[in-house]
Amino acid sequence: MPIPVRANPLRSATAPPEGLCREWYESHGAGIYSYLRFQLPSAAVAEDLTADVFLRAVRAADRFDPNRASARTWLFRIARNVLRDYLRHERRHPHVSLGALDDLRSQAPSPEERLLWKEEVARLLAAVATLPASDQEIIGLRYGSELDTGDVAQILGLREPAVRTRLWRALGRLRRVLAP
Amino acid sequence: MSEAPEDFRDLDRSLRAIRFEPPASFGAELAGRAARGEAPRPPRRPGPGRALLATAALVAGGAAVALGRPIISRSLPVTIDRCCYDLDGGGAADDGVRIVAKRDAEVRRLWVYEDRDGSRDLSPPDVVRLRRGAAPSLAEGGSAGLIALRRCCLDFDGGGPDDDGLLVIGVPPDRVLMAAIYERRARAPDAAHSHSRLR
Repeated sequence: MPIPVRANPLRSATAPPEGLCREWYESHGAGIYSYLRFQLPSAAVAEDLTADVFLRAVRAADRFDPNRASARTWLFRIARNVLRDYLRHERRHPHVSLGALDDLRSQAPSPEERLLWKEEVARLLAAVATLPASDQEIIGLRYGSELDTGDVAQILGLREPAVRTRLWRALGRLRRVLAP
Repeated sequence: MSEAPEDFRDLDRSLRAIRFEPPASFGAELAGRAARGEAPRPPRRPGPGRALLATAALVAGGAAVALGRPIISRSLPVTIDRCCYDLDGGGAADDGVRIVAKRDAEVRRLWVYEDRDGSRDLSPPDVVRLRRGAAPSLAEGGSAGLIALRRCCLDFDGGGPDDDGLLVIGVPPDRVLMAAIYERRARAPDAAHSHSRLR
């Protein structure tokens, strides 16, 4: 007896690829971009990979099951795979130049304060880039995209206490790198 | 309220304050790419080493030359038409670029246009914002309100890989003063050194 196929509402005529992409990007694009950017050397690469995430998501939309995970969790899992794939094949660049931080959001009122903030961010990200890949990943998820540890646990398929433990250990290692 | 232990409060606060923003028009550009059915780049698979690939390419090239067959004719110009992005700063992703180039080498002609008829390529009803020949140059038009827009990365020169960027300088919402392409170098350490000269 044939197995009935349940139509996925995301593949309905009311959700063409363009609309789906726009909807997901508006809700989660900034978070995905910032998460990727946290671990990438330039805005250009972050834009490339962000595009890959959403184009992959649209192509795989019929496999998305909202009963199993939220769109955000699903998109971040795709982003994680895209990032891992990229980092596996690219040489790492711990050096973060100030010129590469043009996409950094800053609320500092003066140019001098904005420059100081850029310098501080470059220092922090250069230190993050020296950590083991698992530390970079958990720091990127937690801080790159404003996810709380519960969200991070869902994306990584871990329990929340385990995420907290891993995060604090990663921060401990980061602090040692930053220590004068 | 921070959930970090006391020891990490300062570090936690600093990291939480870091936020990056994609370009404002990036969402519209992505939606356009999805509408065109553009595929993401395929995941890279571990393959044979570079030395092995280089050896194979040399052997194949040598064999082809020995047989008197041209491998690929790369001297013929190709025409690439990419639409639709926000290239004039007007806010709508309705602009395109048509490039006639020697494959993976120099640009011979380039148009930036507004896709008025929704055909997604350069056609008679469209408004041409910039038309140039082989060398990029900045058209006259004053410097007030200049913006630079960058679109990366696609194949803008027919070379094959999506490794070219497009740089457009203009005055919103509808003036385009310069457009050029560049090739991104994947292994450059930062954006300042990540591309070749403008073409």
